[in-house]
Amino acid sequence: MKLGKCFKHAFNMVLHSKLRSWLTITGIVIGVAAVIAIVSIGDGMQQSLNAQLNALGGDIVTISPGFERGGGFFQMRGGGDGGGSSGPQATTKEIVLGRSDVQALKGIPDIALIDTNIRGSVDVSYLGKKGRISITGVDQSVWSQITTSKIKTGRMLDSADQNVIVIGGRLASSYFDQPLGINKMTMINGSAFRVVGILDDQSNSIYMPIQMAYQVIPEKTNGIYDTLVVKIKDENFLDEVITKIQDKLMIARHVTQKNMDFSVSSRKEMQQARADTMSSMNTFLLAIAAVSLIVGSIGIANTMFTSVLEKTKEIGIMKAVGARNRDILLIFLFNAAFIGLVGGILGIILGTILSGFMPVLMGGLPLARGTAIVTLNSITMALSVSVTVGIIAGIIPAYQASKLKPVDALRYE
Amino acid sequence: MAGDIIETIIELQDAWKIYKMGEVEVPALRGVTVEIKKGDFVAIMGASGSGKSTMMNLIGCLDLPSRGSIYLKSQDISKLSESDLASLRGKTIGFIFQQYNLIQSMSAFENVMLPLEFLEYDEKKAANRTREILKLVGLSDKMQYRPTQLSGGQQQRVSIARSLASDPEIVLADEPTGALDSVTGREVLDMLKSLWKEQGKTIIMVTHDLNLAKYAHTIIELKDGEILRISENHEVKDPVFKYGD
Repeated sequence: MKLGKCFKHAFNMVLHSKLRSWLTITGIVIGVAAVIAIVSIGDGMQQSLNAQLNALGGDIVTISPGFERGGGFFQMRGGGDGGGSSGPQATTKEIVLGRSDVQALKGIPDIALIDTNIRGSVDVSYLGKKGRISITGVDQSVWSQITTSKIKTGRMLDSADQNVIVIGGRLASSYFDQPLGINKMTMINGSAFRVVGILDDQSNSIYMPIQMAYQVIPEKTNGIYDTLVVKIKDENFLDEVITKIQDKLMIARHVTQKNMDFSVSSRKEMQQARADTMSSMNTFLLAIAAVSLIVGSIGIANTMFTSVLEKTKEIGIMKAVGARNRDILLIFLFNAAFIGLVGGILGIILGTILSGFMPVLMGGLPLARGTAIVTLNSITMALSVSVTVGIIAGIIPAYQASKLKPVDALRYE
Repeated sequence: MAGDIIETIIELQDAWKIYKMGEVEVPALRGVTVEIKKGDFVAIMGASGSGKSTMMNLIGCLDLPSRGSIYLKSQDISKLSESDLASLRGKTIGFIFQQYNLIQSMSAFENVMLPLEFLEYDEKKAANRTREILKLVGLSDKMQYRPTQLSGGQQQRVSIARSLASDPEIVLADEPTGALDSVTGREVLDMLKSLWKEQGKTIIMVTHDLNLAKYAHTIIELKDGEILRISENHEVKDPVFKYGD
């Protein structure tokens, strides 16, 4: 029998056992829809991560004191007076970043800007309401060019600024009893500051000129920084510049690779780590979806076995009128593949609809922000997988059908 | 065709069929040797359990003998591959069953066309042939009907049409009137008779009814898996087939 005819007969078989075929197809639909939804969410998250990475600036490098070893972050401190004999790391003072480090960085031509930061928690009061809020002191002459935060109302900090602050969106709108708007005065550790800008975010942070921050954060010493934020000239050379920074700072700080007392990290690296976490979460979800696809394929196999049993007499008739084993095998294989194909197509449609809702459902998860994207790739994959699954599930029943002896099949009631 | 050398179309040589029922071996056919000539109308007779169905399955190449050989058009069927045997069966033998054995999900037209599809006939040629045959059995107006929409007699006519679709040399009928009333049964038999007389087909009919066997030219009587007697019905004379005259 010609292939086209085999397909026609297979198609008729599906049509004539509607309920059973549809139930089987449903199993595949669920599996494929789950795979499509998860893959598309994965792709969507990937894309939004990439977009974030670009928005955040792949050209920003952060230098902090201390060094991360084996996953833990150690803020190394000196061993006290007279500790010179206890090893090369032993120093007499706390490990900090200072002016000499900034000087060293200025010697690297690939660096465009250097921002010096300090952080601390301080008491802030506004119209009688008080709270402890984290503030960041920044070099106001470069901060506006380095920060990835966007201003919503007002302006960024300026070189001439003194007793002014830029605040996060939530702090402005809902932290205090009354909204804290532009030009309002607030008390920070006893000094008055005027709000000049509100950021377009949901944070409670406060940014102020670093010289003012030294005054309001009592434990900080002038000339000692918590972090140095560097903007490089060309982000394509990010890795090379990081190496240069490390080399330069190691020389300046008299340390080696072994006892390095600072760490250099880029937003890109952080995003990479996030992407890795996300990808392993995705793989896990995909594995669960694959299980449902396997269950669906077992459904196809079950249906095919039932179908062969039910059609035994017809197989006998077909063989009596000249059907070869190959013809019967193909008819049943096509039947299974057809169930897989229809399941695949409907699964893609359902999966696409589902993936539209997923970001809303997973909105609370920081990793799931962004939209789901159904790519041609995942459609092709889902279709070929569902058809293959159908064929694999149909092989044994179809083979069994093809091997029926005509005399036995005809006698079957 | 009078005076032609009479050719053997099917030959059973010491054919045995033994069924295994657990430990016990039950012989259904015990060393049957018979030759069926081309153009003959043969009735295979016997009570139930005499082995006539088994013999029909072997003659129709639906089953292979446990021992002995079967030759269809001088070819030993046990030496053919499954696919060659299926094609040979499709081309050479048309089956008519007691219970019609039509495929319920297909129309009369599709049922009749099915053998031609397996033989990979050209689509147009197959459709024309199907229409032609359905007209021959008087069902031109019911081609798109499903078996369930047809009477028993009409279904049997579809089944006859199917058996003739590929223009086989042999028509093998297993109790063709068994499920029909006597009037319809006679119509079916007349149809078989005309196939034999007018189209020169070899008709092999399995029956337990002596009245039906009277239509046949050669009667093979089976008992307990062996041939009891082979007789010729001299009342059945025809201008085409002169066997035994």
